[in-house]
Amino acid sequence: MTAPFTETGVLGPAGGLLVAPLIGFFFGWFLERGGLGYAPKLAAQFYLTDLTVFKVMFTALVTAMIGAFWLDRIGFLDLRLVYMPETFAAPQAAGGVLFGAGFLFGGLCPGTSCVAAATGRLDGLGVIAGMLAGVAAFNGAFPLVADFYASTPMGAVTITELAGVSRGAGVAIVTLAAIAGFALATRIERGRV
Amino acid sequence: MRGLHSALAVVAGLLSVAAAAWDGRAPGVAVPASVDYIAAPDLAERILRGDPAVRVWDVRSSEEFEQMHVPTARLMTLAALADEPLPAGVTAVVYANDDRRAFEAWALVRRRGHRDVRLLRQGLYEWIGRVLEPRLAADATPAERTEFERAASLSRFFGGVPRANVERREVPVGYWNGEGAQAGLAEATRNAVAGVRRRGC
Repeated sequence: MTAPFTETGVLGPAGGLLVAPLIGFFFGWFLERGGLGYAPKLAAQFYLTDLTVFKVMFTALVTAMIGAFWLDRIGFLDLRLVYMPETFAAPQAAGGVLFGAGFLFGGLCPGTSCVAAATGRLDGLGVIAGMLAGVAAFNGAFPLVADFYASTPMGAVTITELAGVSRGAGVAIVTLAAIAGFALATRIERGRV
Repeated sequence: MRGLHSALAVVAGLLSVAAAAWDGRAPGVAVPASVDYIAAPDLAERILRGDPAVRVWDVRSSEEFEQMHVPTARLMTLAALADEPLPAGVTAVVYANDDRRAFEAWALVRRRGHRDVRLLRQGLYEWIGRVLEPRLAADATPAERTEFERAASLSRFFGGVPRANVERREVPVGYWNGEGAQAGLAEATRNAVAGVRRRGC
């Protein structure tokens, strides 16, 4: 039995649809329990007074990365079947800047805005409304940005492929950088830096 | 709590360093059963119809491609395949001389989010055995005779030579006639291609 189960036939399309809400539920649950449905806590990372978001996100990233690497190596997961989105460098960089600006102004990102809304926070609903309006505006204006949207295509590449290092070396570099980052973040929060 | 965090950091660090040391070894994953295949006669019929929605990619070496390839196929490296335009509605077909490389190509296209990608199992070997030079054993079953009639018309279209009433041992073995996986597929393909070329096809 090899994962990803939706790709290897263990879970059919219907099974995938059943599992997705379950994963979404626990994703939202842990975000809320981690305090990430509260905009001032999220905004605090930009002022370097509370770096919880950084720690939670990098913990999830490192856990998933190490888990995916070793599950692939022991033959339980076939990473070649995991969907990897294509890279379009310039439009995605512009999207990242827009995303960051929206995060800074709204205090919430798409996932956390849903968590905030689910716990009854009006700012969460406001961010969701803005997000949907942005989606609609983007679709309406798509012909104007279509060329930029498809510019600088790089295919489905990974950072390790671009850097010319092995996937395992990439895992080690990111993990050790994250551990150093956690230690530094804790010192910053305690005002020792 | 601080001790737990430190312990987790140590575990993550050790696992990541081990990952760097381990990498380079091939993962022990076989071709999964969920790969979508296309049979050579089905592909041949779509090519014969001039179906514009079929794209065939040959991921073997350029020498092998020059010797012989499936009509309409384009030579492709895995790197080039990652950037190849893939319009919606296209049926992508890939083939190689060994299952692993063909599967790499198949998985690469799937990973780009394109769902309709098929693997021509046993590649050119199946193309020659079932389309270009189909053979009918003298003691063939009714099912084999039906398939042969279909294959013979395809064979003539693609310039092949169908042969009827041969001895059973002259019929190529393959997954399609229940002989299981073909051992030494690359060599069997080379021999089959050489045979076709000797006959001037």
